[in-house]
Amino acid sequence: MKLLVCIKQVMESGSELEIDDSGQWLKYSDATRFEINKYDEYAIEEAVRIKENLNGVRIDVVTVGPARAADALRRGLGIGADEAIHILDETEGCRPPAITAAWIAAMARGRNYDLILTGIMSDDEMNGQTGPMIAQILDLPCVSATIKEEIQSDQKSIVVEREIEGGAKDVFQVTMPCVLTIQSGINTPRYPALSKVMRAKKKEMERISADTLEMPGNQPELRGIRFPHKTPQGLVLNGSPHQKAAELLDILASKSFL
Amino acid sequence: MPEKIAIIAAHDGKHINPSTWELYAFALKLKGHVRAELRFILVGEDTGKLAENLSSRTGCPVIAADVPHTKHYHSEIYKKALIHLLRRHPGAYVLASHNSSGMDYVPALAIAFEAACITAVEEIRKEGPGLCFVRALFNGKIQADILSRNASVAAPLFVTLRPGALKPLPPDAKAGPQVVHELFEVPESNVMYKGQRPSPSRGSNLARSEVVVSGGRGIVEEENYRLIERLAGIFPRAATGASRPVCDYGWVSFQKQVGVTGTVVSPKLYIACGISGSTQHLEGMRESQFIVAINKDPSAPIFQVADVCIVEDLIEFIPVLVEASKKRKVREASETSGA
Repeated sequence: MKLLVCIKQVMESGSELEIDDSGQWLKYSDATRFEINKYDEYAIEEAVRIKENLNGVRIDVVTVGPARAADALRRGLGIGADEAIHILDETEGCRPPAITAAWIAAMARGRNYDLILTGIMSDDEMNGQTGPMIAQILDLPCVSATIKEEIQSDQKSIVVEREIEGGAKDVFQVTMPCVLTIQSGINTPRYPALSKVMRAKKKEMERISADTLEMPGNQPELRGIRFPHKTPQGLVLNGSPHQKAAELLDILASKSFL
Repeated sequence: MPEKIAIIAAHDGKHINPSTWELYAFALKLKGHVRAELRFILVGEDTGKLAENLSSRTGCPVIAADVPHTKHYHSEIYKKALIHLLRRHPGAYVLASHNSSGMDYVPALAIAFEAACITAVEEIRKEGPGLCFVRALFNGKIQADILSRNASVAAPLFVTLRPGALKPLPPDAKAGPQVVHELFEVPESNVMYKGQRPSPSRGSNLARSEVVVSGGRGIVEEENYRLIERLAGIFPRAATGASRPVCDYGWVSFQKQVGVTGTVVSPKLYIACGISGSTQHLEGMRESQFIVAINKDPSAPIFQVADVCIVEDLIEFIPVLVEASKKRKVREASETSGA
């Protein structure tokens, strides 16, 4: 069985955000750190668990991004993927998901993946489009917001729970091949194993230049990014922590909460 | 000829979902910027009455199709039915809610129609010869302006609207219904619906509590959730909640999750501790009557909805607050007994 996990490298969560001079994207410095998009880490972990439960599972991990994104692939190998594919695109900033999806689909076509996993969305752009788009391009069924999956014993279908509003789950049985987008909390992602990290460092990765791939037209264009209006509408308490605590208790008491 | 704006109506089989009126409000704004006519698209098991009702209330045409197996959202059937309907009745603009189903089918439809696709949009305005759509990045810490040319049937635009971003605008027209009933044969599908599992939050007291104290990533470690419990302890009756990441880490059970995918709460008092305020969390507590936010990051989006903002690290601040509350209670008790 062949699995493909699609990952994205994003700025480390909790990073200070600064907008660059063009106003088009964030400013990166030597101190900027990157990591695998959190939702994609859940997807890699889920693939590795499938591999641990079944015989003969191979996991490919793919990313679309600049040279630095190879670090995310290496980490994916460290967690347990077998092969890494880097679709190299040096453009920084927003890339419409339809383009990312088209390139991943172009790579995946003909490679006979039984299961394609992506995170439900990326931490930075939060579009949530890439997974469902890959499925549509490849004419595969798609289950988004997957919170549980179980490949059936005949290895021809998979039972999937997808999360809906209020936290209830709709359960589907889906014939493979198919695409699942993975919701956070489906598992607890592990840290890469040292032995695998050492191996990943030396591992050859397949590189595909994005220039060789077709780019879909009719895409929206990012005009700019900005910080939202940051003035809080409410009352901002000032002073020492003790003063703030006293003032908050006064407010809560005046409203009869205490 | 004016272009068409197609609104994909959300409903539960009996009633039109309020998110449809948010889409309606959005569509009217869009209509103010481009020359276009509105119409609704309705897919369900028994759309007859819903379609008539929707059409007469809005004065807009409704394209409706009765499709078996759509009582619960079924991605394959839904996508194929919508592609069929939109081929028969093309729209330059296609709008749907960014809910659990819209976020699933809209990107796929955009591929099928070679359309531009912008998801989780919060606002729209005219920009030069085209349109500008506003949406959140980085969990609401950044806003992006996305430009699009005016759409046409040849180069359509598909948009999902983030629930709660716009005030719903329930229409009150009283027009004769214009409903076009379409047929759709359900094809063989590789996806079979097997039923539903209840939410872990079912039966929790969160939704009914008058005071909810919630902890987020700012608690840093599992054991610090005790601080949230201690803070809840200063109130006569309070429930404890959590943001999604804290549940994802396994620090507390999903039963405590406040948010769109957990429990939606509207208590008299909501205290958010170390919660930055992702949109999915904000949508789950925005209706609270009084909101206090404690967060060390002054730019946390939670402060935009809070009535009282305290820029402090909860790990240091909550013990101070709990201590001050105890002293206050002792003082009040002695004043009462002394009187």
